[in-house]
Amino acid sequence: MTNNLLIAFPKGRLGDELVPRLAGTPLALDTAALKSRVLRIPTATPGVAALLLKGSDLPRYVAAGVASLGIVGSDTLDELDMDLLELADLGFGACRLCLCAPAGVALDELKARPHLRLATKFPKATEAWLAREGLTAELVPLSSSVELAPLLGLADAIVDLVQTGATLKAHGLVETAVLGRSSARLVAARGAALSEPGRIMPLAEILLRALK
Amino acid sequence: MPVRTPHFPDLLFGAAARLRRWEGVLMDLLAAHGYRELHPSLVLREPVPDGTLRFFDGDDLVALRWDFTVALAGLLARRFPEPPDRVAYAGAIFRRPAQPWEAVERFEVGCERIQPEGEPSADADVELARLLLAVPSALGLKQAILHLGNAALVRRPLEAEGLSPGLAKAVVAALSRRAPHRVREALGDHPAAARLTSHAEALLSDLDGPDTLKALDASPYADFLAGERDHMGRALRALLPILPANVDLRVDLADVAGLDFYTGPTLRLWAPGAQQELAAGGRYDRLFPELGRPWQAAGFCVRLSRLLDLAETRADLFEQS
Repeated sequence: MTNNLLIAFPKGRLGDELVPRLAGTPLALDTAALKSRVLRIPTATPGVAALLLKGSDLPRYVAAGVASLGIVGSDTLDELDMDLLELADLGFGACRLCLCAPAGVALDELKARPHLRLATKFPKATEAWLAREGLTAELVPLSSSVELAPLLGLADAIVDLVQTGATLKAHGLVETAVLGRSSARLVAARGAALSEPGRIMPLAEILLRALK
Repeated sequence: MPVRTPHFPDLLFGAAARLRRWEGVLMDLLAAHGYRELHPSLVLREPVPDGTLRFFDGDDLVALRWDFTVALAGLLARRFPEPPDRVAYAGAIFRRPAQPWEAVERFEVGCERIQPEGEPSADADVELARLLLAVPSALGLKQAILHLGNAALVRRPLEAEGLSPGLAKAVVAALSRRAPHRVREALGDHPAAARLTSHAEALLSDLDGPDTLKALDASPYADFLAGERDHMGRALRALLPILPANVDLRVDLADVAGLDFYTGPTLRLWAPGAQQELAAGGRYDRLFPELGRPWQAAGFCVRLSRLLDLAETRADLFEQS
């Protein structure tokens, strides 16, 4: 068992935003390791390493205490509902969780369909919205390229994260309803934060100063 | 994808011996303080909740014992016109875990302090905390941390503001994540949103020694919760002089675990680096009145299965025996 402390960072969009912000801080990631294929990256602080993880896997690493701290989108947190601490809303990586349909299809038209099919990576948030709206629908769970589903007849519409809207536009889709909003959150393992706050919280403070 | 996890652990020689030894030393500790053992049946016939291991006994749906406190409460309410004041228990419970890495079959040792309703309870709460302080040394833990909390610090303001059950649940979930920004989001434009958010920020502002109680000064409910604060202050004054050298005492004002059950002071035992609490308890004064008995109760449970796991993965946290 190693006593090294691990911080879980997301790969992809959020990761692209946060890595430059950490440059010059005690948690700056080793640039040579970043260019390699390794997924465990040393930081500028000895004994503290970063894990680069897929966002949907990241909360599990933190909830299990493998990583003591992590950064992940609130959309993923809400979808997985893991037992971990959410220390701060970091504000960056802001996007909207939207119902998106082919251009020309209105929300009321979707709601009126007797058998609505929605493709999404966010079934829990979609079900909660359907319940609030008093609607029923068939959920088509997908893990990527959700925008293709309405174009190819797999679904009538999609529920997905929208940041700039460029991907939607490229696929002829438009936002018809906003289901929620998401941003990057600083999370911590319950055990690490409550049993060793003196070890964990100074690192959390460094992340807050660099990222908020 | 089906995943097979060790939900029903077989304990091999070392772990089996450790379990037997730990059960023995803890039950001896409790007996030395007047706690007498009760052993409720492994099969419960109370209304069976979700998450239990259920089966039919003839036409009756029954379940394996899923919780000692519930099992003991049923036994005591059925069999005793007046409660024994101190009871202890040891054995296995069977319950589907909230986290996938925890077993269904779990080993526990615990105790309960029961009194007639209306009797002063402060001394009983301190007695339980003193007993829990002795647990780390009894188990050979080199270091431990005792968190003192009070469920009423959250429960009473939520009740006073008349939050709906759904909204109260969302606020408690946000506090459990220690996320005041989530409390603000959950409350939205509720008339008490500003007060309750400010209260949450006060509760979450510190997690440290006795001075943490001062954080309550910043709460809009500071006067409303003066009784709870006095109660915690008295407990701290009683416990600090007898604190073992290997135990740190911290005040956790935002402890909301089990808030639908606990009504007053709460206790949690941690080890540095442990991912889960190793023992937990508190006051639950609503349990026996719901069973028709005018009694109040508090207790704690030592989660031996988690300690067995910790001994395997973090042997450095234990004295070598």
